[in-house]
Amino acid sequence: MSATNQGPGATVSESGQRNTNTITDTIRIRLREPARLRNLELLLLVFAIIINAAAILLVQLGALGEVRKEVFTYSAALAVLALAMHVTLRIAASQADPFILPIATVLNGIGIAMIYRLDLAGGREGWAASGIRQMAWTAIAMLAAFIVLVVIRNHRVLQRYRYIAMFVGIALLLLPLVPGLGREINGSQVWIGIGPQRADGSVPLSFQPGELAKIALAVFFAGYLVTARDSLSLVGKKFLGMRLPRVRDLGPILIIWVAAMGVLVLQRDLGTSLLYFGLFLVMIYVATGRISWVILGMTLFIGGAVAASQLLGYVNSRFNGWLDAFDNAIYEQIGGSYQLVQGLFGIADGGLVGTGLGQGSPDMVPFAESDFIIASLGEELGLAGLFALLCLFLLFVSRGFRIGFAGQDDFGRLLGTGLAFVIALQVFIVIGGITRVIPLTGLTTPFMAAGGSSLVANWIIAALLLRLSDTVRNQPRLVVDA
Amino acid sequence: MSDLTLLILRLAFLLVLWGFVFAVVYALRTDLFGQRVRRQSVPDAAAAAPAPSAPPSVAPVQRPQTPANSLPHSTAPPATSTSANRLVITSGPRSGVEMPLSNQPLTVGRSSESGLVIRDDYTSTHHARLMLLNDSWVIQDLDSTNGTFLDGSRVVVPTQIPLNTAVRIGTTSFELRR
Repeated sequence: MSATNQGPGATVSESGQRNTNTITDTIRIRLREPARLRNLELLLLVFAIIINAAAILLVQLGALGEVRKEVFTYSAALAVLALAMHVTLRIAASQADPFILPIATVLNGIGIAMIYRLDLAGGREGWAASGIRQMAWTAIAMLAAFIVLVVIRNHRVLQRYRYIAMFVGIALLLLPLVPGLGREINGSQVWIGIGPQRADGSVPLSFQPGELAKIALAVFFAGYLVTARDSLSLVGKKFLGMRLPRVRDLGPILIIWVAAMGVLVLQRDLGTSLLYFGLFLVMIYVATGRISWVILGMTLFIGGAVAASQLLGYVNSRFNGWLDAFDNAIYEQIGGSYQLVQGLFGIADGGLVGTGLGQGSPDMVPFAESDFIIASLGEELGLAGLFALLCLFLLFVSRGFRIGFAGQDDFGRLLGTGLAFVIALQVFIVIGGITRVIPLTGLTTPFMAAGGSSLVANWIIAALLLRLSDTVRNQPRLVVDA
Repeated sequence: MSDLTLLILRLAFLLVLWGFVFAVVYALRTDLFGQRVRRQSVPDAAAAAPAPSAPPSVAPVQRPQTPANSLPHSTAPPATSTSANRLVITSGPRSGVEMPLSNQPLTVGRSSESGLVIRDDYTSTHHARLMLLNDSWVIQDLDSTNGTFLDGSRVVVPTQIPLNTAVRIGTTSFELRR
């Protein structure tokens, strides 16, 4: 019965409480095991910080041909933030997954390098530079993640607030429609802004509340499905080898469908609508294990989307821009496929290994630093670099699924899976749109694209996954070694 | 800065980026290929032999701030009088050891995230799951390679575990007791 037989979860220093035990003489005092997971994380984090600094250095060498002082300010700020997160994890969640923080740091850092590169191309400096603002948002996002880790010591607390989460989620979704607060930017009413609107449509402080709504809705779906899944999965008639749900159990899926269609029609945002509905479908599938829900939901959504593409002008133009992107009339039309095709040209110019950071011309694409950051990265890092980034997303999402899979309680399992899937679906929608696999929609690439709301939301998701993984490993357990 | 240097630098950057990807993959290889079985030397096992005389000493004691305890619904007794509230290992390397059962599900497998970690040649990474259903413990086999045996017969569908009945996973058997 050596101390090494116990896993890290059980080897907590609890000798203080154990002294009252009458058989203390048979107990070997178990020392706190060195934080193996955190040391691994630190190693990967140092690697991540080096990559980020190298990216900014290459941007300066490529675009300016010289090294300026920004290379130190940007990389030092990122390094300090990432290391502060690491120290937080050592204290607040020592058994958390060691891969999530380094992966998110690399994605965030490469995003900042690319945004900084576009600032150089556009000649923006100071607070007008998106890179500086992205850096500030990164600090705010990591602070939000820190607060989540410190305040939520156990994810099951969230289950109590599932209905509050539902109302918060719906309120956040509807917020951009409030007159005076909502702002229409680039045709989509998904922003709230404070302050007077400038001539180019931007406001001093704008935020996309829908990004945070996805977290609130994931919490609500997980809490709701834990209680409702038996009635959703056990009853119903069999038809074509599938068990179809009863009519009265269709309520929730119809409500979510109406909400998704409402976002599509009122806020003119196809991507967000697809994201929420997809999240609900996957969580209901994971909770019930019945494919009939997925088929039913996909039929509903595709039916709604096709109807919307016929009735709504903007969805229709998105569809045309997707199907006939290289048609000259559509290319030249306002709101046509100009942006998409320029992005594709950029990626094609990048080829296998890219033009090199700072040496391409990604600034020719409109919104190259936000919606089209993947096209910019594809141009300058090439296929090889883009696939490395996709691998990092894949690893991040697989860690999330893994955390969901290893969870002990149903709520944690559903929440982990849902949060990981929301990142996966968002990556698919964005990159699928830019590479013309699916119609282009206005979503942001998680962790990379310029935009504060997306960054804050994704770092909160990372913090929740870290908290979940810490709880999974910290449970009381017994190890039997053969 | 010459073009050649820049070319070398940007190719090196791509290599470093892929290096990071492979570093992460290498670090999580145990997740992809399963935990390696650690063989213990015989003297070690002999030292563990007197364990049954002091079973509570190794049972993982719940910490005061353990997650399960701070929950609203676990302030209720973990299980009612009709269901088991401890798991006792009856054969295998850690025979005699017991662990308390809460009302939360318990996973069994070779993965270090399991509630009951059994590391031998016959256990799958995620082998089986015990959960409390209508006041009685139910075992579910998670498609394990070598199977879970309840009282000698293989568990195919989630099955209720009666009290004091042997469940065998690999070389380890355990019973649920009150």
